[in-house]
Amino acid sequence: MIRLIVRRLIQMPIILGAVYTITFSLAWLIPGNPLENPARRPPPEIMQAMLQQYRLDDPWTFYWDYLGKATGVSWLLGRHPRPFDLGPSLTHQDWTVNEILAAGLPVSITLGLGAILLACGIGLVAGVIGGIKPGSWADLATLGVALVGISLPSFVIGTALLVVFGLLLGVVPIGGWGRLSHTILPALTLALPFAAYIARLTRFGMIDELRADYVRTARAKGVPRRHIVLKHALKNAFLPVLSYLGPATAMAVTGSFVVEKIFAVPGIGTHFVNAVLSKDLTLIMGVVLVYSTLLILFNLLVDVLYRWVDPRIELG
Amino acid sequence: MKLLAPFGLLLSALAAVVYLDDTPPRADLVFVNSGEVFTLDPQRMSWIQDFRMAYALYEGLVRWNNADFSIEPAAAEWQTSADRLIYTFSIRPDARWSDGAPLTAHDYLYAWKRAILPDTAADYSNMFFVIAGARAFFRWRTEALEAFAAQSADLDPEDRAPAALALWKETQRQFDTIVGLKALDDSTLEVRLDRSRAYFLDLVAFGVFCPVYRPAVEGWRVDQATTEAIRLSGWAHVPPPAFADRRFVTLNSATGRLEQSHGWTKPRHLVTNGPYVLSHWRYKRGLQLRRNEHYHSPQRIRSDRIACISIEDINTAVMAFASGSVDWLTDVSVDYQADMLAERSAYENRYADRIKAALAAGSTLDEALAALPPPQKGERRNIHLFPAFGTDFYSFNCRPTLANGRPNPFADARVRRAFVASVNRKMLVETVTRLNEPVVTTLIPPGSIPGYRSPEGLPFDPESARAELESTGWADRDGDGLVENDQGELFPIVDLLYSTNTPRYKNISLALRDMWQRQLGVRVELRGKESKFFKEDLKSGHFMIGRGRWYGDYGDPTTFLDLFKTGDGNNDRGYSNPYVDELLERAASEPDPQRRLRILQDCERFLFQEDVPMLVLCQLVQVYMYEPGRLSGLSRHPRLTQYLWQIEVRDR
Repeated sequence: MIRLIVRRLIQMPIILGAVYTITFSLAWLIPGNPLENPARRPPPEIMQAMLQQYRLDDPWTFYWDYLGKATGVSWLLGRHPRPFDLGPSLTHQDWTVNEILAAGLPVSITLGLGAILLACGIGLVAGVIGGIKPGSWADLATLGVALVGISLPSFVIGTALLVVFGLLLGVVPIGGWGRLSHTILPALTLALPFAAYIARLTRFGMIDELRADYVRTARAKGVPRRHIVLKHALKNAFLPVLSYLGPATAMAVTGSFVVEKIFAVPGIGTHFVNAVLSKDLTLIMGVVLVYSTLLILFNLLVDVLYRWVDPRIELG
Repeated sequence: MKLLAPFGLLLSALAAVVYLDDTPPRADLVFVNSGEVFTLDPQRMSWIQDFRMAYALYEGLVRWNNADFSIEPAAAEWQTSADRLIYTFSIRPDARWSDGAPLTAHDYLYAWKRAILPDTAADYSNMFFVIAGARAFFRWRTEALEAFAAQSADLDPEDRAPAALALWKETQRQFDTIVGLKALDDSTLEVRLDRSRAYFLDLVAFGVFCPVYRPAVEGWRVDQATTEAIRLSGWAHVPPPAFADRRFVTLNSATGRLEQSHGWTKPRHLVTNGPYVLSHWRYKRGLQLRRNEHYHSPQRIRSDRIACISIEDINTAVMAFASGSVDWLTDVSVDYQADMLAERSAYENRYADRIKAALAAGSTLDEALAALPPPQKGERRNIHLFPAFGTDFYSFNCRPTLANGRPNPFADARVRRAFVASVNRKMLVETVTRLNEPVVTTLIPPGSIPGYRSPEGLPFDPESARAELESTGWADRDGDGLVENDQGELFPIVDLLYSTNTPRYKNISLALRDMWQRQLGVRVELRGKESKFFKEDLKSGHFMIGRGRWYGDYGDPTTFLDLFKTGDGNNDRGYSNPYVDELLERAASEPDPQRRLRILQDCERFLFQEDVPMLVLCQLVQVYMYEPGRLSGLSRHPRLTQYLWQIEVRDR
């Protein structure tokens, strides 16, 4: 286990370095100029001065300068006052990327974890109901709902929820963040596709497990049905769900562009799209680095949990 | 149980996070800005939503009267020398910063110096180049920085910081000697211009000319006694602390550049001299303003608290407005905008007589609407269309050859005239955009600049359009409905470039293609591109006809007409005509304001009757949502500068 963790942690900087380099090259190749207001071009001499001020006149200097500041190497060498400085945002001029992430990440994490919790709750219940009696009306109903949950885009679900609960019923506020009532609809919208997927995984897992020999043995021994389902079968059926939860959580906590946009949630999800559209290099690099780090850490966490839940598994 | 424990823990953590989050109290005026506020540093602003905040937080030397855009004193009175080269501003003695310190001429000098300094990376720097020596200083500093960066690598690391400081001191000295800006005393600012500029005061009213408070901008760390001295007589009378004691600025010893961090624009740090101070600003959640207790004319302020909330998705913003949590929407560009405007027309048509009577009796349109019975199903009165200080157009590529080396048919003004005269603009705004924007034939929105009378451009006239095209040798010789030249070659396929970020330009382009194919017998191919690629193509001249739009920056025809100057950075058309250049130059050196405007009018007439480098379609509009009678204080002047301190919400 320790070896696994150490090895993953050693791999991390290499992976991050590759991600940084690839993202940087792609981002630099986006046409246009992040400092330019789309409506108007200032005279060339002024634009040149602006590019120089942000070191955007030379990719090579920018690449190394940013890498040094972001990783904290410049700080270790005493060339920069702060470690892990992701630089000033090029479009949101009054904010540094660190400030933007510090403001947005807690929001996205709150929303994402809330959504994953909801998704587990809905998905597991639906999956177990379906898995116990495959082919019954309850199973078909949950399968149908799961299909809708996966195939309906969240902007449709989100807008529909907003119109019904926000506008017509007036039970939740529209837009904004800070109160529990603000989080319900976005969390639900974000949760539905995950819930649908979890329901399907659980259902198939349950069907398989309930046919397994140990279940037959337990039944023959007279173990209560509730006990068999919840204590024995669900535990094993949960394993594929657990491995799905790693990337799903990483995805949910880094925010969703659509959900954040529709509900005006101040998370970091919209930056993944908007930063690229405005070629905000520092913000692009910042969110990509943070996202990759989270993804690697969540995968590691899931692997560790996996070992803990199912000691049979050997992780190399 | 083992599995449930982590979930339970997570749930309680989430509840705690949500519970602990603070939300500021409800404000007197809640509005959704036209976009996320990018910066509260006036010198670096370039977006309308930022300027809207600037006019609430800061006060310039002069201000526009936003009913007619005449200039009125704000923080200062002014005097002009006989040759209109020297402006002397006397700052009112009761003007103060929000920390109580007096507002002085040094504050403006400092702010304007920042804007001219290349290190600030301000994209409106060139507006300050009307000040004598400003451009020369900008160039001097740029070159000095390049020279410094080249040399500093050879210096010993310990010698770099003193060298950067020496360059900085030399920069201050250069500024004082080259640039025509001087604080004669604490209350008098003298500005010397490079040449007489009829619109100089209009520039000074613009947001980038607002003052900033140096101790806050630089984050001075000073002792209590110095703080007291600053509050009493202003920062100019105390020696500034060393760079080590300035939190928000550093001198980069490798590049010699001044690097500014923007911590100072946040609540608790920001010191302002306008009607409001900043009380909250949370990223992507919005900001709140509170009345400035030190403002010299408190009777002017209509709302004590103003909240500007962030809702990126306009669809959601419209729902928030409908649910009553927002008082004013500044942008309503959703798909169903035209339908809502149609509902408004239905309402207005029903009560046309009563509205007319109320207007004749002297009430405003909003008052007239508010006095009417509430709208029924299929009607509404809370959406409002405001013509703006900008124009929608399509540019002709005027270069002799196209980007691919082929000859450019649009280099010939007669071909351009034919393409313009065959466009039915009225049909476009009524059935394609469905917003009924005011149709225009010239670029400068008529009536938007005091004293300037717009000439007439080419009207819709398909007959003369065909004749004009025939006169260039393109005529339908074989009766197939397409025009050929005398060798039987078809007119080159017209490459029509537009951006795909909104459906608007696709729809207009489709309609234009149709009109040109039908009226002129030419084949048109549409090329829709994502906005970044679109801009690249436009810049490099890779198009025949490309969509464009332009908003004026200041109240003078040149803010539009400079687009046609040979080599101008925004001259996407590659247009060049010595006659136009000469007229613009003549206007610039004309001392008499009336005669100057007439020269510019001649210039615009020539551009839109004779040479037509662009096909102008309509004045751009801004659509707002608010309940008439409930929200008041908005300006209807096309320049659409809304001062937040003028806006009031009744019966809250």
